[in-house]
Amino acid sequence: MIILDQVLPYVMQIHQKMHLSRVFSVVWSHRRQAVVGLALLGLLALFAIGCGADTPQNTFDTKGEVAERQKDLFLIAMWPALAIMIAILGGTVLILIRFRRRSENDIPKQTHGNTTLELAWTIAPAILLFGLGIPMVAALWEIGRDPSPDAFQVNVEGQRFLWKFEYPELLDESGDPVVTFSEVNVPAGREVALHLTSIDVIHSFWVPKLAGKLDAIPGRTQTMWLRADEPGSFSGQCAEFCGLNHADMRLVMHALPVEDFEAWVDEVTGGGSSASAAGVGGDSGG
Amino acid sequence: MAGVAQAGNPLGRALRDVRHMAEDRYSIWSWIATVDHKRIGIMYGITAFTFFLIGGVEALLLRIQLAQPNSTFLDPDQFNRLFTMHGTTMIFLVVMPLSAAFFNLVIPLMIGARDVAFPRLNSFSFWAFLAGGIFLNASFFIRGNIFEGDIGAPGAGWFGYAPLTSTEFSPGHGIDFWILGLLILGVASMAGGFNFIVTILNMRAPGMTLLRMPLFVWMTLVTSFLIIFAMPVITVALFELLFDRLYNANFFNASVGGSPLLWQHMFWLFGHPEVYILILPAMGIVSEILPTFSKKPLFGYPFVVFSGVAIGFMSWGVWVHHMYTTGLGTVANSAFGLSTILIGVPTGVKIFNWLATMWGGSISIKTPLLMCAGFVTMFTIGGLSGVLHTMVPSDFQQQDTYFVVAHFHYVLFGGSIFALFAGVYYWFPKFTGKLLGEGLGQLHFWLMLIGFNLTFFPMHISGLLGMPRRIYTYQEGFGFDTLNMMSTVGGFIIAASMLVFITNFISSLRNGEKSGRDPWDARTLEWSLPSPVPNYNFKEVPVVEARDAFWYTKYRENEEGVVVRIEGAAADDEEDDGEGGHGIHLPSPSYFPLIAAAGLPIIATGLIYDPALVAVGVATTMIGVFGWAIEPPTERR
Ligand SMILES: [Cu+2]
Ligand SMILES: [Cu+2]
Repeated sequence: MIILDQVLPYVMQIHQKMHLSRVFSVVWSHRRQAVVGLALLGLLALFAIGCGADTPQNTFDTKGEVAERQKDLFLIAMWPALAIMIAILGGTVLILIRFRRRSENDIPKQTHGNTTLELAWTIAPAILLFGLGIPMVAALWEIGRDPSPDAFQVNVEGQRFLWKFEYPELLDESGDPVVTFSEVNVPAGREVALHLTSIDVIHSFWVPKLAGKLDAIPGRTQTMWLRADEPGSFSGQCAEFCGLNHADMRLVMHALPVEDFEAWVDEVTGGGSSASAAGVGGDSGG
Repeated sequence: MAGVAQAGNPLGRALRDVRHMAEDRYSIWSWIATVDHKRIGIMYGITAFTFFLIGGVEALLLRIQLAQPNSTFLDPDQFNRLFTMHGTTMIFLVVMPLSAAFFNLVIPLMIGARDVAFPRLNSFSFWAFLAGGIFLNASFFIRGNIFEGDIGAPGAGWFGYAPLTSTEFSPGHGIDFWILGLLILGVASMAGGFNFIVTILNMRAPGMTLLRMPLFVWMTLVTSFLIIFAMPVITVALFELLFDRLYNANFFNASVGGSPLLWQHMFWLFGHPEVYILILPAMGIVSEILPTFSKKPLFGYPFVVFSGVAIGFMSWGVWVHHMYTTGLGTVANSAFGLSTILIGVPTGVKIFNWLATMWGGSISIKTPLLMCAGFVTMFTIGGLSGVLHTMVPSDFQQQDTYFVVAHFHYVLFGGSIFALFAGVYYWFPKFTGKLLGEGLGQLHFWLMLIGFNLTFFPMHISGLLGMPRRIYTYQEGFGFDTLNMMSTVGGFIIAASMLVFITNFISSLRNGEKSGRDPWDARTLEWSLPSPVPNYNFKEVPVVEARDAFWYTKYRENEEGVVVRIEGAAADDEEDDGEGGHGIHLPSPSYFPLIAAAGLPIIATGLIYDPALVAVGVATTMIGVFGWAIEPPTERR
């Protein structure tokens, strides 16, 4: 509403200064461009809807290093893609207007091609695309590295239809690793190594604000790492269709501030073995 | 006459009688026994469109369920089965056979042939496709009363990832129907693929060198090669899965050393070429319509041809981009990321060439052209979101979200379906002698364009907001609500556009404006024939002197290089009503392809329920095959 209050006087001024009928006739004669403009406005409106609401799985509202890197890479590709999209859509509409058939007897020049031009629009996209390939591969190697040895270790097991989390470094009073279901606690600000597997079908582990997904596959254990840059509770869910209640296979990752995390560790380990969390990393097998 | 039609024995006489019935062009038997590529094309088209409506209804049910959070319109089981059938139907029973419909209708005419190389094999392809389609959809009824919500049907997604498809996780027979249905459809596609390769390579009119072939013929050739190489791959995968399910073969069972990822490799090694099987024919159609409606030849014909061929080859080296999140490692992901980037180049080339074709033309803005413009623009959006997907690390975020759903609908609906409708509006007059209504056509186009974008554009956003695909519902508070409601409303607008199309189709068929031979001032040989095309196609086999063969019988360049119409060329003599066809030998109608195809679903049903039926099915197919082999030709006229 504030925006409206600020904008409205200007609109009124423009309204008074310009002859409205002329504006309308201009708009009408450019109605196809207007359609394109409206479509773009609609696009912006969609983003506004997206950003305005509460969006706990928004891949653009990143809270961790990996997701941040992925978002940046996406934007590197998205802006040129949007520009090309607008150019080609606009170009098509303009071509249709400019070269529309005016008389049935018109026979245009029969151009068969132009090798220079065609080579140009073969090579230019190739250069542009390989230009995208460089940051892509760079980011891939960065994200795809092994987790650092002092990362907090969690073994993740997908089961239809919930997530089981085992903390190999945290042993409870009877000496078994601590286990939680559907909710996982990790220290904020510290790297977390997740070792994924499944006991039944393929699932995919995904906490959008922290990192992209990796599949949990029966018979294999594979590792990803992520880091929550700030404390918070981050929503995630299984992203590989796994059957009946796939939609309900949700999880929450709680990235706890150091004191809270230590308090939780003390609680689950009975206070005695919290040292192991800071000690040697657990066995990384599943 | 020799063979089965011995006049003496009663079986022989009955067979002869039933074949005589097929000689009457107006009897239903003449359709059932037809080997005429045009009739087979029409049957392909109508059947595929019927499946399109079924798949569309499935989509609407899914959209109603997703319109609001926590909806209970469908239960999760119904939802899973419906989306599986929606995907499987749209790919195998709609876009592929609609393309096949155009191959059948148009290819022999474009290359100046009287039929395809193997007319009875062609008829077999159609019946096997119909058998596979019915078999697959029969799975809806295997679990009880479908009207009380007990729907059968497979429910593991159109790409049926192992081990979800195992008997342990997918009990019941839905998956078996899916496997066997796809196998039957594979037989149909393979037969069609071989047929069109041989037809295109061997049956071209004199003078039609490879580089004079219309673009649609080229794209059909590439597609047919992709079909005959890709189908065997999925056939092997499906057989392994079938053996896993029926005989505990354990190809994909990790607990005894099998590999779930093996399925994905094989499926996508088929699946990516399949994407091009779905889109190359559409590109071919657009490459015919744009030049005709711009009154200009296709810009850079060799570039468009070679980029199509290049796509065909490269499509074999990118399948891992469907598997980025399976953890194949950074080296594999980098390599396939780069190869996928590479395949974007020939696709881009085509888009620029299409725009350059229109540039400087005299563009007649009628429905076929509008549909093509829709194709070029929507496919561009789908191609660009595809480029975003090649960015492996960021694809870790988009994989399996609605962003992907948006992407491939822009390619397969915005691309293939728009182009296929363009083809319908363009070639309808050739086979009916009447034009489709232009007013309703444009209404259809605009409704479809608006509905399509309203449905699928918001899915980009819901995907980026973290909505995974294939979830039967979502909760409030994720920002998905409004976007999903928009998608649902859009879906119904698309449905409305289909009603407009059906109305237009039926009313134009009844009392559409007469088209004459060449309503669009077109460039390829089919337009030199009367509309509808007589059953023998060409009275005299044409001699081709140039690319755009028909155009150069109508126009030439004068001394100043200006194009002028040749006086009196290609006069519109509609009087040619088949009388000129005396003495042209045509293949005889035959029931045996139908019989051979009918055995296939019987074998499939037997494999699931009762081995005795397998014997019946094999016997049926054998009767069909042997009858086919020894059937004598009938004399005509
Ligand atoms: Cu799951
Ligand atoms: Cu692909």
